[in-house]
Amino acid sequence: MPKAVKVALLLTPALGLVMVMMSLVIWRAVAQSFGLHNFNGEDVLSLRHWTEMLGTRRYWNALQWSAYVATTSSLITLAIAYPLALWLRKPFAGSFLLSALIKAPYFVPGLVAVFLLLNVIAYHGIVNQALMWVGLTDRPIRLQNDRNGYGLIALQVWKQLPLAFLLLQGAVQAIPDPVLNAARDLGAGSVARFRKVVLPLTARAMQAASILIFIGVAGDFTFQATVGPTRENSLATLMVQYQGVSYGDWNAAAVVGVTLMGLSLVGAVGFTALVQVATRIAERA
Amino acid sequence: MMLARLNTLLAGLLAAVLVLWLLVPFAMALLWSLVDPGTPWSYPDVLPPALSFQRWVLMWETTTLSTAMLNSYTLAPVAAITAILLAAPTAYAFGRIDFPGKGIAQVVTLTPLVLPGFVTAVFFASILVSFGVYSRYGAILLGHVVLFIPYAVRILTVSFAQVNQEVINAARDLGASPLGVFRAAFWPVLKPGVLASFLIVFILSIEEFALAFIVGSPSFTTIPTILFSYLGYDFIRPNAAVVALILVVPNVMLMLFLERLLQSANPANLSGKG
Amino acid sequence: MPAIDIEGVAMRFGDVDALKNVSLHVPEGAFVTLLGPSGCGKTTLLNIIAGFLAPSRGRVLFDRQDVTGIRPEARDTAMCFQSYALFPHLSVQDNIAFGPRQKRVPKTEVSARVGDLIRQMGLAPHAAKLPNALSGGQQQRVALARALAVAPGVVLFDEPLSNLDAKLRDQVRGEIRDLQRRVGFTAVYVTHDQAEALAMSDTVFLLNGGVIEQSGSPREIYFRPRTRFVADFIGAANLQDGAIAGGAMQTPFGPIPVDAADAARRTICWRPEVVRLSDVGALSGRVAHVAFQGGWLDLFVTAGDQTLRLQVPGTHDIPDGAEIRFDVARDAVVVLEDEPHA
Repeated sequence: MPKAVKVALLLTPALGLVMVMMSLVIWRAVAQSFGLHNFNGEDVLSLRHWTEMLGTRRYWNALQWSAYVATTSSLITLAIAYPLALWLRKPFAGSFLLSALIKAPYFVPGLVAVFLLLNVIAYHGIVNQALMWVGLTDRPIRLQNDRNGYGLIALQVWKQLPLAFLLLQGAVQAIPDPVLNAARDLGAGSVARFRKVVLPLTARAMQAASILIFIGVAGDFTFQATVGPTRENSLATLMVQYQGVSYGDWNAAAVVGVTLMGLSLVGAVGFTALVQVATRIAERA
Repeated sequence: MMLARLNTLLAGLLAAVLVLWLLVPFAMALLWSLVDPGTPWSYPDVLPPALSFQRWVLMWETTTLSTAMLNSYTLAPVAAITAILLAAPTAYAFGRIDFPGKGIAQVVTLTPLVLPGFVTAVFFASILVSFGVYSRYGAILLGHVVLFIPYAVRILTVSFAQVNQEVINAARDLGASPLGVFRAAFWPVLKPGVLASFLIVFILSIEEFALAFIVGSPSFTTIPTILFSYLGYDFIRPNAAVVALILVVPNVMLMLFLERLLQSANPANLSGKG
Repeated sequence: MPAIDIEGVAMRFGDVDALKNVSLHVPEGAFVTLLGPSGCGKTTLLNIIAGFLAPSRGRVLFDRQDVTGIRPEARDTAMCFQSYALFPHLSVQDNIAFGPRQKRVPKTEVSARVGDLIRQMGLAPHAAKLPNALSGGQQQRVALARALAVAPGVVLFDEPLSNLDAKLRDQVRGEIRDLQRRVGFTAVYVTHDQAEALAMSDTVFLLNGGVIEQSGSPREIYFRPRTRFVADFIGAANLQDGAIAGGAMQTPFGPIPVDAADAARRTICWRPEVVRLSDVGALSGRVAHVAFQGGWLDLFVTAGDQTLRLQVPGTHDIPDGAEIRFDVARDAVVVLEDEPHA
């Protein structure tokens, strides 16, 4: 049979399934945000749901909050992972163990991570017990669901660090030694080598890492719902609230969902550009 | 030499912190799961007053834990096998055939990983409602297969690409039937990839929360959704401890096994779990 | 263009001695080769001269100044790496400009240098390309241009031709030597290819197991090897053991003339091409095998339990099994310093 047909047939099971399902999901989200596929009444194509939502405080708060948590977590994660990857580029006694430990949280599912953290910071958790035992406070402090989301951001960083470290370590270790030696040979000290060789050659990995982290954190539900500040919503928790038993308003949920997708896209593009610009500046300086 | 010593010292310190960071909470989880239901553990006791397996027995008998475990452990293998079967032909094409648009096709296959999990879950549920699909198991199964097929495709693509064309030719030259060629030339190279794909999809399916939560609640529970219920407003710590351990321990063992299996190719690069 | 002195350099990695005790002198503007099999320490020595390794013992001097403690960034050396080590993210001209830019050479000067080198190396059509768009030979030229752009006093070559095909190798070999003569830098060239070493060098340092086994001009090394290793490593050699009496060594082929005092047991060495076929030759043997090589004929000649390798112009036509007679000139035979094999 002709090659094109053969290839098409081979691609159908996986690629075909993925394309169909993903398009359906995206279409469904966009369509419901514009009033179609209405479970609560007539299908009416309208901007009503959008205009209503854009006038709602909670919506803007959730968008701001998600953007804030995602951006902060991404920046902090990169700021920790990159130096670590550079430091652990060449093996030394203990570097293997350290690498493995940094990657360990990878093995811990998100929910379990939440539980572990709660254990540590909850009202009766170990941190509070230690503080009281030492005498720094005589009543437990509210560390869980803290107002500024520090616990939330810390947990996000903890969870995303292994992936970021992995990607950056791969890129950093892929730089051949002779290339770095050549730079030394031609007069470049360690700072110059970093700016002119290491940074440009790891920019791709930084972009990939930042995109994955941003999207992952922006779309988070579980961490927000369990350790996030109770008066805030992430876009995901807001979306589920609208859709869930209490509201049953799928159209509103769809607006939030599309917004979330939009935020992911903006974040991805933003970080790509950021890394690009930062690398250019460092190289020229 | 000084630099080397300093490095090791710093690494040692950091390692110690990380170990504490991981071990202490886990140890606490273990302790909490063993707290005897009759004698609760709270401030000011430093250690639980009484330990027993009662909590585990209690949970097994009185909660939906057993059902949840049954659900999770029947979903996962089926999802894994289905994903592998569907991924194989596509992986064959990606791994051994050159065709225009291949690059794009490969990227498109990764879309389930890029779309935020809860968006996928909510609107997948929406579609199910429209189509009147009420089988929770079937729906979640379909969802898991679609979500995790990208992993199977990526791993199997690498495996298929590694099959040596000359071995295939030799098998045919010596008169083997298509099945014979598969057994002689393909299967030995595919075996580790198939096993790795099975493990990854299995692990990810067990841990998957978004879809199970949105589509499954409240009647269809999986281990993660049960754990979530204990973490919310009702933080029932001993129960959460039990479920957390049930969720994590088998998975960690499987993942370590998987790492060993894919020693040269870094599995985390392929799986991008997070 | 400094002269280089290596004094008593030793290098230890763990419990392995890569270099045991090496001393040598490179005159200014000379082209020398570090030759030897893999593992002999030649690349280690090159890295010590460049500054990437600090020797366990000994010193490196440029024009009698001790540079042993100076880091590679600050030494007057530039290296041509075996894998070329071009910066993958920079174009050809940016690669070449890298060194001068590091040294804060004024922009106009940088462009002038880069332009010059690109022209010299015939890289003009490739100036804006990235390394992965170039062939091996082109990458090699970029690597060389990049090294020359910093106008170094010493250029170090780490087996630069090993990744090129044979024809290209010959061509680039000649170009490198011409370039060195023109510009005048001191060159230290590492290779395991003895043909390269013989063709390019003023002096050859033959290393074996971390020590210099013999050094000298290519002719000296080739015609006057001092040990078995040197004789074998460079070209083909006929090695025979025996007693020397009355200016000759008795062999199954006849008496081989040797210009040396009587001795109970010695090893002599002579090259296959010094033989002359003659009907009245003093030596004789039976041709076991003939290999026609175009320009010459390889003859494997036996007598008793020994086999010799002779080389005569390809115009001869000698069949397998023929009995031949030949002569070897006395001054072409060398007595080796080794202990003969038992």
